[in-house]
Amino acid sequence: MVAVAVGLLAALDRGIAAAVSPTSAVVTLLGVLGVVQGVRYANARRDRRRLLTEPGEPERRAPAAVPGSALDERIARAADPAPGGYRDRRDLRDRAREIAVDAVARDRNCSREAAATAVGDGTWTDDPAAAAFFGRRAEYPLRVRLSAGIRGRSNYWYGLRAAIDEIERIEEGEP
Amino acid sequence: MSDSRDAAVAAEPDGSEGDGTRPSGADRNDATGSDAEDGNATGAAGDGERNRNATDPAATRSAEPSTEGNHRREVATDRWLGIAGAALALVGLGVLVRQPSLVLAGAVGVGYAVYARTGEAPTPTLAVTRSVSDEAPAPGDEVRVTVRAENAGETALPDLRLVDGVPPGLAVVDGPARVATALRPGAAVTFEYTVRAARGDHEWEPLTAITRDVAGARERTTTLDAPTAIACTPELAAGGDLPLRGLTTVHHGRVPTDVGGAGVEFHATREYRRGDPLKRIDWNRRARTGELSTVELREERAATVVLLVDARESAYVAADPDAETAVEASVAAAGQAFSALLDGGDRVGIAALSPLDCWLPPGSGTVHAARGRETLATDPALAPTPSGERFYRSLWLRRFRRRLPGDAQVLFFTPLVDDTAATLARRIDAHGHLVTVLSPDPTTTETAGRRLTAFERRQRLRTLRSAGIRALEWGDDSFPVAVAAATRRWSR
Repeated sequence: MVAVAVGLLAALDRGIAAAVSPTSAVVTLLGVLGVVQGVRYANARRDRRRLLTEPGEPERRAPAAVPGSALDERIARAADPAPGGYRDRRDLRDRAREIAVDAVARDRNCSREAAATAVGDGTWTDDPAAAAFFGRRAEYPLRVRLSAGIRGRSNYWYGLRAAIDEIERIEEGEP
Repeated sequence: MSDSRDAAVAAEPDGSEGDGTRPSGADRNDATGSDAEDGNATGAAGDGERNRNATDPAATRSAEPSTEGNHRREVATDRWLGIAGAALALVGLGVLVRQPSLVLAGAVGVGYAVYARTGEAPTPTLAVTRSVSDEAPAPGDEVRVTVRAENAGETALPDLRLVDGVPPGLAVVDGPARVATALRPGAAVTFEYTVRAARGDHEWEPLTAITRDVAGARERTTTLDAPTAIACTPELAAGGDLPLRGLTTVHHGRVPTDVGGAGVEFHATREYRRGDPLKRIDWNRRARTGELSTVELREERAATVVLLVDARESAYVAADPDAETAVEASVAAAGQAFSALLDGGDRVGIAALSPLDCWLPPGSGTVHAARGRETLATDPALAPTPSGERFYRSLWLRRFRRRLPGDAQVLFFTPLVDDTAATLARRIDAHGHLVTVLSPDPTTTETAGRRLTAFERRQRLRTLRSAGIRALEWGDDSFPVAVAAATRRWSR
């Protein structure tokens, strides 16, 4: 703006034009100004995405939801090794616990209370990771903690996987 | 293309009205010459076609009326964003290093910047027609769709993209449903594609037209409505014999009951009463004891059945995003059950567990059969894609119970992927209507979440069974096969 104003004034009044004589210093200054401003303007392109209308894909049929995909997203959030997501983790664990208790009660032909106790103290399974997932005191085995550390996943994720595998084993063991 | 029919073209209502209401504007433009008219047309473009047509001369070149456009948005595409900055930087650099060639190169950039700022994305004045090769195809048939768009306006469209609004329930099997072209005034473009018909009433959504100016710096989106619809009504094939439960009407039919009377299966014996037919007297007993007694046979009566299809948004699930949804499987199975039960002399009705209302009262006869077929095929509540409206469970249940005849039993088709369906089944059962749950299995076992969902669904089925509700599921095998297997398992 300043440059434009000075330019206009210089055009109108010869005196000012004479004061801003095209010495090498002034020309250099103008050049630097041009480069800096130009790069600034051009930089605006960098973090802007082109606004194009996305017509979508009308040729495809509206995709159907796959049962459990929303749950998968929740699991991914809950199993994130970053801190937080405590509530997600607890909800998911409760949900899996219900299924495990039902499966154990059916498998051992015992009451739900007895099954809940078995799931709670880890005696429902031989898999230490699955036991630790629902267990109040049990610790994840060293093998799980090591691979979780190396692969950057949480113990929770391994525990959940082991618990689901264990439930499946019980379900399929049924006649 | 034998049955080709032009889709209705919405006539442009504003043309004559504009000329009538704004004669002075048109006169002024005519007087100031064509340049001013062009300028006026571009300036008024933001207000849509009404103004453009108002400034057009009364004599339109095209005989075809243009389709009414619905202006959506106009944006700068930012295609040339930063070109002025780059030019300035180049000039600055040229000044800095005292290189005239660089300054000159920068001037070229300035030229581009000016080029990007000239021009406006034109408002398309198009006459769109869409025709389909068959308006009532059978499921699986290929339907050829032809779309023709003519530039009925005065300005050329240097960059025009047309994307057709294929109904979400139909898949395109051949050719893209879009075209990119340039159209001078009076020129037309035609594109064709093929869709595979699927059950339901499919209505085309408006065609989207995207126009850009010559430099591609500005872009305008317009939707053009050319109503087209196809209705695909599958034939109903009876699928096996559905085992019904003992709740019946007073009419004769095929469901065995615990009521003694006329029938084929032995039920009980009772004391002889005067007037009993001779052939029903138990002569063996008469020979043994000398007493007269009458054999009662299990009376077979007709049942009233309501087929309830779960079509809430949560029921639109499939094992694979491109596969048929559980609603499709439910409707197909309900269709088989419908004709099987009607053939058996039962009275059959149809209802949907859906935010939209769908109720076909139980009835019988050929007219009812046709109505049932129509309901299953094209009722909006059973549409191939969810309606997106909210479902109120208690409201729905109250209305359903009010309509349900007291002696009706319910065949409930649901994928059982949430607790609501299971709860409703138990509530309906608790109100004295015998419920049979028929559940297509949409679950898979690929990921942890899907496996958990599958376990939960299986648990729901078990809970229903332990509550005395018959439940049947079918996955890869067909519905009649699953019914046949279940019939062997169930004792009446």
